[in-house]
Amino acid sequence: MKACRIIGRGGVGGAAFVLVAALAANVGCADAVAKPNQRLDVPRTKEGRPDLTGIWQSISTADFDLEPHSTRKDAPPGAGVVEGDVIPYKPESLKKKQENFAARDKLDPRLQCFTLGVPRDNYYPEPFQILQRPRDLTLIYEFGNSVRTIHTNATLHPEGDNPEFWLGDSRGHWEGDTLVVDVTDFTDKTWLDRSGNFHSDALHVIERWRFLDKDHIEYSATLEDSKVFTRPWKLSVVLYRLKDRNIQLIENYCYTLDYDRYYPLPKEGP
Amino acid sequence: MIRPNSIGRVWLPAVMIVAILTALPAAQADAQMRWSSVVTIVPEGQWKGARLADGQPDIQGVWSNDIANHDNFTDPQGGIPGDPSKGLNVANGARKVKPRSERAPSRVSDPEDGQVPFQPWARAKQQELLANFFNPTRPEYIEPGAHCAPAGVPKALYWHGYEIRQFPGVVLFLFNGGTRIIYLDGRPHLPETIKLWNADSRGHWEGNTLVVDVANNNAKARFGRTGEFASENVHIVERYAFGEGHYTYRAVFTDPTVYTRPFTVTIPAHLITEKDPQDGWHNEQEWANAPGKAPFFENYERICVENNHGHGALAAAGAP
Repeated sequence: MKACRIIGRGGVGGAAFVLVAALAANVGCADAVAKPNQRLDVPRTKEGRPDLTGIWQSISTADFDLEPHSTRKDAPPGAGVVEGDVIPYKPESLKKKQENFAARDKLDPRLQCFTLGVPRDNYYPEPFQILQRPRDLTLIYEFGNSVRTIHTNATLHPEGDNPEFWLGDSRGHWEGDTLVVDVTDFTDKTWLDRSGNFHSDALHVIERWRFLDKDHIEYSATLEDSKVFTRPWKLSVVLYRLKDRNIQLIENYCYTLDYDRYYPLPKEGP
Repeated sequence: MIRPNSIGRVWLPAVMIVAILTALPAAQADAQMRWSSVVTIVPEGQWKGARLADGQPDIQGVWSNDIANHDNFTDPQGGIPGDPSKGLNVANGARKVKPRSERAPSRVSDPEDGQVPFQPWARAKQQELLANFFNPTRPEYIEPGAHCAPAGVPKALYWHGYEIRQFPGVVLFLFNGGTRIIYLDGRPHLPETIKLWNADSRGHWEGNTLVVDVANNNAKARFGRTGEFASENVHIVERYAFGEGHYTYRAVFTDPTVYTRPFTVTIPAHLITEKDPQDGWHNEQEWANAPGKAPFFENYERICVENNHGHGALAAAGAP
């Protein structure tokens, strides 16, 4: 359990709540909800692991801009999801980020419905579905219907002259109730948000997926990329379980929209 | 020539021999399955294999079509009519096309003539699409798959090998041409105004047979390079009968706006195992990096569109 200071107590509508504050900026205080050795009341698999099965979505403004930003025509304001607020670019990389930002209405790969990549797919404002087996987790992102497998069967990243993956190669393991995923072998073609934040093919991501309660997951990602950043840095968002009536992932092969008009249903007549 | 057997379900074409393929060396078996006349047909019945915790028959793994590919829907080993290479370009590599009587029968197992029972106007459209396949002068003559569009139902089943994963209440198909999430919990289909490349699937198990009701089809995908199609009104009932290492797909297509009567499609398929070669078609898996364990395969991500700039540029340019 991380150290969190209780700064107040109160009651709303008869339900007690606890106000907590982090002693350090990098400490997630949701830890304070769970007492040491107390099993979180979350869905579990037969093997006793947290069961992430469900349809999830971030409602943060992370995809608009990971860093703190005021409102602008193409983004609602947001307090940012980066620990320490600023992504530690190398000087030449910061210049490229600024160029990306200036041309974001043309260059963002999402505009072509390209696979968003990791971690962006996890905070893009569209649902994704997790299906879980002991050997792996299958993540289906509605945007583009990208399918990602997080292997949890003690396998390692591919060796040798690896192919590059849009979603990286994901190998996960459990640390207590936290799913820790090591992701490597990326392309350099994806962005991290709509504001032109980017990475190279040297990107290495370490994700941590942890239930806060049965309907909320704290998702964090540490990004390491010695070609682009001066040091590893971390982002964190909360994923919400979608509970709308009839919620279902609906295929969104948005990359077909530029040509699907050429495939009208054949009609009778000339 | 297609002959329904006494119970009218099992596909027993005259040129097919039901055989146990595991007796053959893997490479030979693979070549046989794709190009010769040997398949295994699985009847519907009881499931005798392993089950998952929720009671479903465990049919997880990578599967692939037994015969040929998507070149020709009703004459799977016949190549694409009008092929300028005169049959020397049938799928992977040069191969003489055998006489029709020695080739696999149509995937259309009912009606008996093996043809899609198109209404006259629809037959004319199909012939038009086929006639223009090799020299597409209009955008609609380019097969949607050339743009990385999802393959749709049923074509995804005779394109590349595909993976089936199962979860409580869900059967998941991961194709090269997209994904199908088949819910088993009895929920209704999506509202009919929603139309999808890979349609909307609801399933249940009857013994060894996964029965899937398919609706919400956008009818943009085609059944093969020969141009067969359905309309948005098509209703498909699929029956996947699983046996040990094989399954047989039988599906009834109903669409009164395009066909004169319902018709049945039959597709035999087999399980890919560690004995199968990595052939870039049936088995596109890679060996997992698992030191100290017996070798096993795993699938890498399958993402087509971003790597396909040529076709994408063609679409974006807006051909006339």
